[in-house]
Amino acid sequence: MTSAPAPGGAHTGRKISADREGFLRHRRFRWLKLAALLCVVAVVAYALVDIQPRPNGGSWLGYTLGTIGAGLIAWLSLLGVRKRAMTRGAWSLKAWTSAHVYLGLSLIVVATLHTGFQFGWNVHTLAYGLMMLVIASGVWGIVVYAALPAALSANREELTREQMIEGIRAVDRQLHAAAQPLGREPAELVQAALDEDLFAGSLITRLSGAWRSCATARAIDRFALADANDEAAGKVEKLLIRRKAQLDRLRRQMRLKALLEVWLFVHVPATIALLAALTAHIVSVFYYW
Amino acid sequence: MTFRLRTVSTTADGRRIVRDKDVAQDVLTVGRAAESDIHLPDLAVEPNHARIALQSGNRVSVEATGTLGFALDGRSGRSASIDPRTGGELRFGSTSILVGEDGGAVLLTVEPVADKVDGDLEADGMTLASVLPGKRKLAWILAGLILALFLALPIASNLLRSPDVKQSNVVGDGSWTPGPLSLAHHQLEAKCEACHVKPFESVRNETCMSCHKAAHDHAPEARLAMARAEPGVGGKILGGVAHMFGKEGPGACVDCHREHEGLAAMPPPAQQFCADCHGSLKDRLPSTKLGNAADFGTAHPEFSPAVMVDPVAGLSRRIPLDANPRENSGLAFPHKLHLDPRGGVAKMAATLAGGKGYGTSGLACADCHRPTEDGVRFKPIVMERDCEACHSLVYDKAGPVFRKLRHGDLDQAIADVSIAGNTAEPVVTGRARPGDYGANQLYFARFTRPVGGGLVAGMLGKDGVCGECHVTTLKAGRVAIVPVRLPARYIAHGWFDHSAHKQTKCAECHAAGGSASAADVLLPKVAECRTCHVGEQAASMFTAKGKVPSSCAMCHTYHPSPAPPPLARRERRQGVGG
Repeated sequence: MTSAPAPGGAHTGRKISADREGFLRHRRFRWLKLAALLCVVAVVAYALVDIQPRPNGGSWLGYTLGTIGAGLIAWLSLLGVRKRAMTRGAWSLKAWTSAHVYLGLSLIVVATLHTGFQFGWNVHTLAYGLMMLVIASGVWGIVVYAALPAALSANREELTREQMIEGIRAVDRQLHAAAQPLGREPAELVQAALDEDLFAGSLITRLSGAWRSCATARAIDRFALADANDEAAGKVEKLLIRRKAQLDRLRRQMRLKALLEVWLFVHVPATIALLAALTAHIVSVFYYW
Repeated sequence: MTFRLRTVSTTADGRRIVRDKDVAQDVLTVGRAAESDIHLPDLAVEPNHARIALQSGNRVSVEATGTLGFALDGRSGRSASIDPRTGGELRFGSTSILVGEDGGAVLLTVEPVADKVDGDLEADGMTLASVLPGKRKLAWILAGLILALFLALPIASNLLRSPDVKQSNVVGDGSWTPGPLSLAHHQLEAKCEACHVKPFESVRNETCMSCHKAAHDHAPEARLAMARAEPGVGGKILGGVAHMFGKEGPGACVDCHREHEGLAAMPPPAQQFCADCHGSLKDRLPSTKLGNAADFGTAHPEFSPAVMVDPVAGLSRRIPLDANPRENSGLAFPHKLHLDPRGGVAKMAATLAGGKGYGTSGLACADCHRPTEDGVRFKPIVMERDCEACHSLVYDKAGPVFRKLRHGDLDQAIADVSIAGNTAEPVVTGRARPGDYGANQLYFARFTRPVGGGLVAGMLGKDGVCGECHVTTLKAGRVAIVPVRLPARYIAHGWFDHSAHKQTKCAECHAAGGSASAADVLLPKVAECRTCHVGEQAASMFTAKGKVPSSCAMCHTYHPSPAPPPLARRERRQGVGG
């Protein structure tokens, strides 16, 4: 894939290949190295500085780590604003994202040392817990973005989302036609399957992939018991099985998509909650100073 | 097998019109061209789009004849084979052709498909956003809850509280505590406002002192300020933050007494806390009498006990042990003489052994030095209890009664001794005197050694019953005994717990057995203590076996107090060395 030359500047081959680098390997892991350095410095300082009576956030090292941590959190949360403006170069969005990932991970070390391993049922540990939740969800996001798109694409077998839905609708129309000779009870089963909302699954259903009370599956079960000589019923059953196959693919697609998307539903709200808890943490410390 | 073509159209008022037509052909063409068998007037369809043909085995084949393909059951392709009994839906542009079976013929139902109206809605259904509340909404709800519960509620409750601490009841500030309070302050756990009196104001000294009224200052403030060492980089940062946010200090109560560090006794201060100032105290405070001290094992001055130099005036002076101090307690007591296992004292003690509890092998330290109830120090020596068994004050016997001098009352003793012997039965009694002088009168005479001044002099003399141990002096023109002042404590500002050293023999530290003079100060030098006690740092670095890590707080307190220092208190509680 060659990108068009940017206005006002020719592209060298090197630059184009650099552009292919993912945000994780950006500039030969520049931000990974910087974040690792930050962690090492923090750990060494923590090991060497003897805080009495025991390490805590109120010591000078605690203040330093806390200030670095709070600054990092504030900056990291700005990615949501920054990502809406894509730019190139040293401060490209990719560089920013790379820094976001690695500096975000370094917070595990910086903030944990800031706590001095003192935890409790309080707003301070709440802020810490939310921060760890945000980081964990971010890690989950990176993992699924590396692993799932291939599975997603394999599952859809070059069908577009619309084609997948249209395929089910096509079977539905055939089902509707084929079910005309059926009696009231089997017709109701077919109608229930047709009436089923393709996208009715809740978050849990989507994540687990366990779609219970599927009207199509129920109808198939019932039609399997029907008289083998009933031609219309046999045809409807075949159509139902086809519908079920297509429905399963759609649901697998929805499951993968849910796994792919769910991290952001944790990451973003937890980040805002973290900013609130961080505010409460800092204000409360100085309020009861 | 033939084709049956069923065309479905919808009138403007929504009525469906269905027309069936049997076509006796094996192949049908599909396209926009007017001559097509299935004519689809749709610009998305090519003039000659596809052909539908009957195949052997009752199947129907569909082949695209132009450049565009078609869709079978939603999937695009250019050729397909369909079993009419199973059926399938072909899609050309906006028209669907349903392939089915009707009375032995292949039924092709041609029907225009309504444009997708719910397509976008369905597309959205794939995403999680369709089943979860929006990220933004979630974020605001969570952030709002946290701010309300953990910030607004405690602040509002704190601002609206009753000014009387006992009445006040701040709600929600429990979530602010960074950790449990120490044991000493545990009862204040839910009363944050008892210490945190004003918002954004650090805990004040006066708040601490409102309960801790008896806490004494370490030294006058001005001297403390001079003695305080310049803090390091970290200390400067901390001081800067503290100053910026209005903390008292340096030297405020909370600088040392850190709270919220867990439900336990507050830990004793670390050695560094003292060493910061005392390690180089002389540099900043030249007038101090204290030597620099930073670590007991490596940097601690020699002990300077308060040695009695003038027992009459009760004057003691602190003299370092390495300056070979001589003590004048007013008592002549050579330890060597008393402790010699082959000496006369030992024999005497052995003779008395049973009744007085002395051992058969002479005197032991414990025969005279009896520990106090807490075992920390020793009870004062009492002559009647500790000496008199041998050093008897009996001077006479009247019938079964032994007359004893009264210890501690010299005038009485002199008076008693002056008439000693006079009370004895006269040798000659009531005999008429012969001769001219006083004829016919009775006379009494006592033919014993003359008594009076001679006996008193003997008593007070160097080998006399008093002078053996005591020194005489003149007081207001009268003979008097120099008071005996044996210090109960030589080192008033250093704690030493004898009970913690029970496993050590007295003589290992106190060289009493070789001391021929009471002027010897029988205290161990710092070097002797160091055979077991090392500084806090050394202990943590080498963890030498059998060595006792000893920070300053083992012997010293910051606030002058008769109570044991913090570390000694803790070790007593834990039974260390006890």
